[in-house]
Amino acid sequence: MNMKKSLYIIIYSSIILLLAACGKPTAQVPAQFSLLEEKANIYPDYTDIVVPPNIAPLNFIVRDSLADAFVVHLQGKGKELLSSAGKNGTIQMDMAEWKELLAVSIGTEVRVTIYARRGEAWFCYKPHSFMVAEEPVDAFLSYRLIQPSYELYRQLGIYQRNLTNWDVHTIYENNREFDNKSNHCINCHNYRSNSSADMMFHVRANHSGTVIVQNGKAHKVQMKDSTIITAGVYPSWHPTENLIAFSTNKTGQAFHIYHDEKIEVMDESSDLLLYDVTKNEICHILRTPYDLETFPCWAPDGKTLYYCNADISPLLNLELPDSTRSHQLMLRYDSIYYNLMSVTFDPKTRQFGEPQMEVEMAPMHKSISVPRVSPDGRYVLYTLGDYGQFHIWHKSADLWVKDLQTGNCYALNEANSKDAESFHSWSSNGRWMVFASRRMDGNYSRAFLAYFDKNGKAHKAFVIPQEDPEMNILLLKSFNVPELTKDSVTLSTADISKCIYETEAENAKYIPNDATFRHQKPQTDAVTGASPKRK
Amino acid sequence: MSKRSSQPSRKAAQQKETEPPVRHKQWRLPVLLLFFVAVLVWATYYYGSVFQLSREYSFWVSDTRQLDFILSCSFGILRYVGRALLMTYKYPWLGGLLMAFILTLGTWLVGYCWRLKAKWRALQYLPALAYMGTVTYYGLDIFFEAETGYIMGIPFLVLLVLVIWGIMIRSFSRKKTPSFIKVPSDETHRDNLIQLVVCVLGFAAIVGFNELKRPYVRVITQLALMEQEQDWEGIQALARANAYQSNRPMACMYAIALVHTDQIAERMYDIRLDYDSLYLHGMDKTLNNGSSMYIAEGCYHGGFPESCMHSCMEQMVMQGPTLRLMKLYIKSALMRGEWELCRKFLRILSDVPFEGSFCKKYGAMVGNDSLVDADPEIAKIRLTEPLHDSFEGMYQQPVFMGYNLALVEGRSANALYNSLCVCLYTKLMPSFLERLEPLMGRTPPDIIADGILLTATKNPGLENKFTGLNLRIPRIQGFMQQIQPYMSDRPGHAYELFGKYKGYYPYYYFFGNLKATKKGYTGEVTSNSGVN
Repeated sequence: MNMKKSLYIIIYSSIILLLAACGKPTAQVPAQFSLLEEKANIYPDYTDIVVPPNIAPLNFIVRDSLADAFVVHLQGKGKELLSSAGKNGTIQMDMAEWKELLAVSIGTEVRVTIYARRGEAWFCYKPHSFMVAEEPVDAFLSYRLIQPSYELYRQLGIYQRNLTNWDVHTIYENNREFDNKSNHCINCHNYRSNSSADMMFHVRANHSGTVIVQNGKAHKVQMKDSTIITAGVYPSWHPTENLIAFSTNKTGQAFHIYHDEKIEVMDESSDLLLYDVTKNEICHILRTPYDLETFPCWAPDGKTLYYCNADISPLLNLELPDSTRSHQLMLRYDSIYYNLMSVTFDPKTRQFGEPQMEVEMAPMHKSISVPRVSPDGRYVLYTLGDYGQFHIWHKSADLWVKDLQTGNCYALNEANSKDAESFHSWSSNGRWMVFASRRMDGNYSRAFLAYFDKNGKAHKAFVIPQEDPEMNILLLKSFNVPELTKDSVTLSTADISKCIYETEAENAKYIPNDATFRHQKPQTDAVTGASPKRK
Repeated sequence: MSKRSSQPSRKAAQQKETEPPVRHKQWRLPVLLLFFVAVLVWATYYYGSVFQLSREYSFWVSDTRQLDFILSCSFGILRYVGRALLMTYKYPWLGGLLMAFILTLGTWLVGYCWRLKAKWRALQYLPALAYMGTVTYYGLDIFFEAETGYIMGIPFLVLLVLVIWGIMIRSFSRKKTPSFIKVPSDETHRDNLIQLVVCVLGFAAIVGFNELKRPYVRVITQLALMEQEQDWEGIQALARANAYQSNRPMACMYAIALVHTDQIAERMYDIRLDYDSLYLHGMDKTLNNGSSMYIAEGCYHGGFPESCMHSCMEQMVMQGPTLRLMKLYIKSALMRGEWELCRKFLRILSDVPFEGSFCKKYGAMVGNDSLVDADPEIAKIRLTEPLHDSFEGMYQQPVFMGYNLALVEGRSANALYNSLCVCLYTKLMPSFLERLEPLMGRTPPDIIADGILLTATKNPGLENKFTGLNLRIPRIQGFMQQIQPYMSDRPGHAYELFGKYKGYYPYYYFFGNLKATKKGYTGEVTSNSGVN
């Protein structure tokens, strides 16, 4: 063997040894190990949760600065899964094995045992487990990715993630390259009854309008009239009729100078609108000067519209000009309280009834926003915070439900955190809820799933899995307005872009009506604020 | 003696006659090597601060997922590679060395690929000189609201093309390549001289243009880097050395340094505060006053970490994350006790080459309030944090000035001085008067003292409520008399009088910042869409 050859062998052996030292260990349970008293510190927290049987692998990072290798052993009903990680602790499980494990473990627990190698010795953390629910989650999750700020916008998009794997489809992205003349914002994507067949979202600033996707085609409409505050804002598709209820809001933002909550998003005025998609006509549902109606949401039968309402007349000095309203409200931003209201609707005559109080929280100095009715029509899921309506910036914001059968209102403590939870939606089977929460770092919202069982109890929430769990840290954008659907959006990104860039928005015809009236306040429960049980 | 010595000289004379005549040997210099040294000096010492600050206005990690915001744009790979190369400017000598290598190798390859004959070899220097000239022409625009990946990406791309071209030529031709280090054998003295002249003239033009047309570029970038290094004395020295230059970024950095050395009420007017326009363009390509170069810093050092985070985030939305913004964000988040947010940004920053020391220093503070408070910079800033919450929109912009203008209670004497100085700066004397009470019976700092005397002309007896003002009265009386001839055209005489009254507040009151005074110090209108 000559000198040169020996040198090559030494170099190659060194590289192989180096790679082996840096890489993952073999995924097998160590023959010998010592037991540790504590559970492993894993990120994200996937311990003691209930997961859908069709969810993608819950990849995670084991945090142990003393260890340089990890092995994870998952045991389900007669099925095992082994995975390993190097020093970075990132466990990325095999998709097929994971699916098999969940398939056999439906309705039972999966036990997770984590081993860590510290030096030459292996240690075993106290195992944790998760439960596999019987009911799947709707496979597709739509969300907007946007920096958690503030007034400006540039690169943002609406995406659809397949929760059963790692696929992400771009529904639409605005200007990647900055162009002042084309810069626009996109927001408030919404679907009808958990199906992507009917979809809409707004485009603001340049190329503005509301994009409505139906029958595989996109068109753009403009909802403007001198009586409409702005355009349509927060939407809700009617479950059976081709109608969309919108709020129309004059919204402003104020930036705290010394507060844990960075931003206060306030409405100066807001009303409710009804848009007829087929006829391209719009009319008011409620139009009041001192009540702020917002966040409409249809019940699944389409006969009741829920919404939030704040009476701001006590906060305003009515002798001052209306132009000072915004400033007056800013000074008393923490005294704006929204109640949960409802109004009946007759789909045949398209007539609305009198507004009814559903949950009155203003007297308790609490505020409700974003009501979402469960697909079975039994529960209204909403966010309760200390004030205001844009609860995703309120640390006090928690998820609550009102049981429409019993009239009881209660917090979903298991799913809530110390930080903000909001912009929630239901899975079509009503067993899963998805919501945005800033709990991971207080700033960047992530989409969380929580199981909602048959008894109306929510279980511990968990962040949607990522192929690389560290993306939850590395991604400098927030998950915004997560919406679950059973199917995927079929219209291509190019078709939607074409609609936005190349078509003019069609003006909706305004139909005047007598929509101006004030609600009556029924008696409510003194503790929970709930209205009497319905008969 | 004379006989013996005359023999060899005769021999030598005979030899001279038989040998062919030797031409006088003419010098030739290794111009390419000298060019390398000159570029190195330019890219390291002369313009190094500009590139180094460009790095701070950039962001690069090897993980392409985090750079999707540029990779998905046109020339994404170029931007990515260019940003990676720019990271070497953490150490200007390293970045300068790389820049010099790219430009010099490119220069040599131009000569080789174009098969330039010795007499035309001076042409090979033109592309590199043109690049340096372009960079100098654009000045701050190379990084301000611009794609920083192009700074080193473009020369690198050109080099890459030339290398491929050169390899192709070399594959088909075995012709001897000109020497990279030595003087090429085919060059005459004249060829060599022409190259030297082209290079010297080129560098002279570049440096001359910068000194005459963009004198503020190096000053601003050096000041901004000193701010990051917390070199308060350096900022003051540099700003005073360039006292006649006047721009907002410089004024803000200078004020920050004075705040940290407790001299804001003593030395603020040592530099001219008239704010000449800069050659600076925003994303919309219109002229910009550079406010986004200093508002985040101003808010942070002014005691408004949340407003700093707001400003950082707005800039990140438009330009993507940058090292500068992330560092400010981390420091602000530390002040606000947002530990998880700090960890997030530190984790991202830890993947950026050469940022280990920052991560180590501030990473140690995460979750440890006492360590945060013990940091000298933060400890100083804490003194001027607001006592109560309110909204930014309630104040004139930028908020670090607007808040101080409205300050009615502060947590320290520093906050009071800041507030008084902002009142004087904005020439709002009634507001200044309202805040003087805590200083009564004491000797105020120089600028405040002069402000009091100036106000006393309309409020007789005011000066008697303070001590130590009597000695200053003759000067202000003299000043008021001396300036009378100039009062009819104050903007016209401001510049010429600055040298005489440098550092004297009454001069600023009558002659300084007149344009801003006329317009009012108002913030820019921003869109209110896109809440999330």
